[in-house]
Amino acid sequence: MDRRKFLKWSAFTGAAVGASKIMGQFNVPEASPLQKEIQKSFEEKWVATSCLNCPARCATRVRVVNGKAVKITGNPLSQVSEGKICPRAHVGLQVLYDPERIITPFKRTNSKKGRGVDPKWVPISWDQALSEVTNRLRKLRENGEPHKLLLFYGLNTVSTEDMILRFAEAFGTPNLISGDGLDSEAEKSGNWMADGHYAHTACDLDHTNYILAFGADMVESSKPLSRFLRKWGKFRREKPNRTKVVVINPRYSVTAAKADEWIPINPGADGALAMAIAHVIISEELYDRTFVKGWTVGFDFYKNLALNQYAPKEVSRITGIEPEAIQRIAREFARTQPALALRGKEAIDWPEGSFTSYAIFCLNALVGSIDVPGGVIYQESPQYNQMPPWVEDDIAKKGKAKPSLDLHGSNKFPVAKVVTNQIPESLLENVPYPIEVAIGFNSNFVMSSPGADRWDQALTKLPYYVHLSPFISEMALYADLVLPSTTFLEEWGYDHSPPGSGFAEAKIKQPAVSPRGSARAITDILFEIARGLKGAVAQSFANIGDHAEGFVKFRTEKLIPWKELLKKGTWIGKNYEYKKYDRIFQTPSKKFEFSSGNLKAVLAKTKKEKGNGWDFSPHYKEAKFLGDQEKFPLILLPYQPLLAVENGSQNYPWAQEIFLPMHGVGWETLAEINSETARNLKLKDGQLVWVESPFKKIKVKVKFSEGVHPGVVAIPSGQGHYSYGKWQKGIGANPNEIIGVDYDSISGQSAFFNTRVKVYKA
Amino acid sequence: MVIDQDKCVGCQACSTACKNENNVPHGSPDDQRMRRDIFWNKVIAVTNGKYPRVNTEIISMPCMHCDHAPCVTVCPAKATYRREDGIVVQDFRRCIGCKYCIVACPYGARSFNSREQEEKEYLRPDLAPERSVWGQWPFPTRTHGVVEKCTFCFHRIDRGVKEGKKIGIEVVPACVEDCPAGARKFGDLDDSTSEVSRLLSSRGWIRLREELDTKCKVYYLLR
Repeated sequence: MDRRKFLKWSAFTGAAVGASKIMGQFNVPEASPLQKEIQKSFEEKWVATSCLNCPARCATRVRVVNGKAVKITGNPLSQVSEGKICPRAHVGLQVLYDPERIITPFKRTNSKKGRGVDPKWVPISWDQALSEVTNRLRKLRENGEPHKLLLFYGLNTVSTEDMILRFAEAFGTPNLISGDGLDSEAEKSGNWMADGHYAHTACDLDHTNYILAFGADMVESSKPLSRFLRKWGKFRREKPNRTKVVVINPRYSVTAAKADEWIPINPGADGALAMAIAHVIISEELYDRTFVKGWTVGFDFYKNLALNQYAPKEVSRITGIEPEAIQRIAREFARTQPALALRGKEAIDWPEGSFTSYAIFCLNALVGSIDVPGGVIYQESPQYNQMPPWVEDDIAKKGKAKPSLDLHGSNKFPVAKVVTNQIPESLLENVPYPIEVAIGFNSNFVMSSPGADRWDQALTKLPYYVHLSPFISEMALYADLVLPSTTFLEEWGYDHSPPGSGFAEAKIKQPAVSPRGSARAITDILFEIARGLKGAVAQSFANIGDHAEGFVKFRTEKLIPWKELLKKGTWIGKNYEYKKYDRIFQTPSKKFEFSSGNLKAVLAKTKKEKGNGWDFSPHYKEAKFLGDQEKFPLILLPYQPLLAVENGSQNYPWAQEIFLPMHGVGWETLAEINSETARNLKLKDGQLVWVESPFKKIKVKVKFSEGVHPGVVAIPSGQGHYSYGKWQKGIGANPNEIIGVDYDSISGQSAFFNTRVKVYKA
Repeated sequence: MVIDQDKCVGCQACSTACKNENNVPHGSPDDQRMRRDIFWNKVIAVTNGKYPRVNTEIISMPCMHCDHAPCVTVCPAKATYRREDGIVVQDFRRCIGCKYCIVACPYGARSFNSREQEEKEYLRPDLAPERSVWGQWPFPTRTHGVVEKCTFCFHRIDRGVKEGKKIGIEVVPACVEDCPAGARKFGDLDDSTSEVSRLLSSRGWIRLREELDTKCKVYYLLR
């Protein structure tokens, strides 16, 4: 008997029988007429798709009943997280059915813009909206000024990102700004200095035996998250020898609580600690001589630097960690093979973050954990079907030759790929040129950037701004036009996770349900705009599928037959191959570099002064703080809890009600302060306080904690939304609002942790 | 059920998976303030120590399905009872909402549903009564004014038994299925060959509030 027949049968005859067996001693009432009706038309399917509530993009299966998605669970065929998903994926249902989503285009009628100003939205038709955008864009190209278009993009599928990138190239604007500069670019630049890969680090968590996590919130916000969650279970108890985890962080995070050891460190001192660990490993000759001798350059300089300047005793004064503890973890790290040193935002989102990142990464090389089982590995990407090259006319060529608005590659940020937080300054000062039209794709930098005020002003000043997202996010409040895009459960796309697994894996996004209202996929919107622009732009978008589904089919058809992909949801590449030392290092010496040739080459081109050896080797520089220590005695430490959804909204009750697991509360932002410090400040646990930086202040509830460094105030990000949503508007506060603006000098990464604050009763 | 504290990552996927599977109403800021938000599986954190020597134990708490369940003893309406297989269930139709069981439960596993069904923003009215993948949901209409609790997803288990599937391997509760760390295991404690029995014989374990002699059936493996 198949499933449907069984159901029908059970509805009319078997319900009472089946259920009474369950109940044991009670009778179950007959199904009501309405229920019978529902049962008759009961239609169920499982759709293989993937998540997009964070960049991990896990493969999922969605259960759809009568056209409505009712359950999301993992896709067991996916290997990145072995078919497991994190709680963010479950929240996907509430993203889809968010009652306050927009499902039709809106036009602004209030010409005044700004925070707190009602845009006075009026609904308009798609035709009208798209022709308005297309006309604006066409005018830019007619005037030969395509560079005056600014594109922002937040979290999107890889397919949408590919489309946006292609659009920027064909249109001719150098101003394509992602949110990466607000995340962990310093990790990438640290890798780039060492091995030439400007990319996140992938780790072979299956085989590692020891993990030293510098500020890495492995089970809260590391990427790809679900992989860390799954592998944590695996490396703890699913192999013969349990992996030890040591967490170094000023804050007692969930990761620290779950680790074997938590070592609180003075904020911003991770670089010094990494060098001290190198000191111990080198002085006690515990390093991997074969790897260091065979596949590295610059070791002698690095060795002398570590030995001469970073003795545990000295570093103990900087880090606040006992010299004995430094020696102990260094020995454990070197003797337990294979071992991994990870870094997270708390360690590297600092003005000198790239060098800290470099210093920590070098520890992996010291103990030979490079491209070996249980060490750092190098992520492979799925080879999607090549698109024909875009058609580039003279207008586009000229536009792209202009400097980019975020100043990446300039003398200020010579190495950077994107400096997200530079945009408001450039916009406000019209440097290097004014912007006419801006389009935002699922971006919400007003919430996620330090110094949000500047974004307010800059977006207010923009002559014409179009925002695409499924809801009116904070950034959309400044838009002249809002186009409702679909959520990831309603659209076509292909995706892959950020580095982690080593082997390549692609996942599909296919509509589990039909789009709500008239929401459209960004890919489709771009196809239409491109066609409307005609000429070279339209030609660039011809022959690649013509619409979202066709585009996905075109890009993936060489990987796996279409029908099979729709059914399985994932494509997995060949097994990872280790020890490719002869070809993985993309450095001038083709080896792992303890003294960065890549950096030297770039700085030689852009900087006037010649650096000394120091400038190219991992080292520690005293952290620079914003604010006067006397007036602002504490240091602000924002952090991202697991249930802070990364799509720019937080209007999801399932995530909100369990937002802060360490305190057992939700719907809230808590300022966590060491109980000793708080008592000295004469605060009472749970009262409202002002947390004030030299720039701004926010009002939050204080929480006494034993798990915070005495000099630190830890505040979770993710709350403080002010745009829309019954379940998020006016709840909590956003720590990013009071953070000062500063950058990592190498990668252009925004510094998040060097703002000083004071706390007092509200 | 066995929960491995060493593997658990404190992510709360168990809580969201449960809400997802069983359509448990979500709370609101007011609900939380008044402590009346409904959880069938709640994750709590218990902190001991003083900076810098501090320890927080993050504990995921489903219903413990006690053999000597205080809630069963006190229920005046016989709405809650222990099935033959050991699962403690709640019959919404018999429940009179007196909350006696909530007071009696030493684990805080029970919640009172004080909300009208229509209130819920994310109500899924088109859900078929046969609303789970695994079996028949015996209470197609969720009523307010009654006490709710974890059922170990007995709709999945009963269906699995009926279809001759291996309980604990092929069929597990939603929280077990969706635990990313693989920290939760489910199975027959009386069967010495089951995974749960093997785990319990391999490591030290505790049960919460052992001193009350509830003989509860959720075991925590120690780190």
